[in-house]
Amino acid sequence: MNERLVNRLKERRTELGMTQAQLADLCLVSRKTINTVENCVFIPSTLLALKLARALEATVEELFWTEADW
Amino acid sequence: MSYSGRSKLFQPDAESIQRSRRTMMWFIPIIIVQQGVFIFRSDADAFAQLFGTLAWGSVSIVLVWLLLGLPLRWVSEEDQAILNDEWNRSISGEAARWGIAALVVLGCGMMVARIWYPLNAGLAVYGLVNGALVVASCRYAWLNRGEPDEDE
Repeated sequence: MNERLVNRLKERRTELGMTQAQLADLCLVSRKTINTVENCVFIPSTLLALKLARALEATVEELFWTEADW
Repeated sequence: MSYSGRSKLFQPDAESIQRSRRTMMWFIPIIIVQQGVFIFRSDADAFAQLFGTLAWGSVSIVLVWLLLGLPLRWVSEEDQAILNDEWNRSISGEAARWGIAALVVLGCGMMVARIWYPLNAGLAVYGLVNGALVVASCRYAWLNRGEPDEDE
């Protein structure tokens, strides 16, 4: 059984009325990075996960968790 | 007397450089192959050799900058951070791995091919290096294709 990282980045971001570009600016990354993380294409580093959590006023655990990938 | 700032042409920001990375990367393999033919042609005169070498140097610098993210003094620290963010480093690494794989496969193919065909050293080096570069830059262009729409 494999595990994959999923997130509720998009939900939290839209709750705050923030665009991908605004979140990218806050975290000093490209919008593509935000887009690929949101779509679970790219797994962010711990550092970026912490930056995202800070920018979205949430904890890393609230934003990211793992799911069984059968 | 006042000093005017540099024009936008000489002050690219993260957004414009990323746009160039997306749109111009496809041209690099074509330029590499073209200039390779230009440099290695048998009837090249001194001017052609000099021009070819300059062209080769320019493309090499661009590739090294794309892959290693060499700092540009006119790009702000924030833009530099964005240009070398995790996604960009990740796709550069993936492209480099494809380039190395291409080097290995091409090398092996040449070793097999020399059983039937005589192997010219210059052409072999040209084929190996450019084959790897073409594969790496194509892979980079593919991974970095198209800016996604907001919330796509």
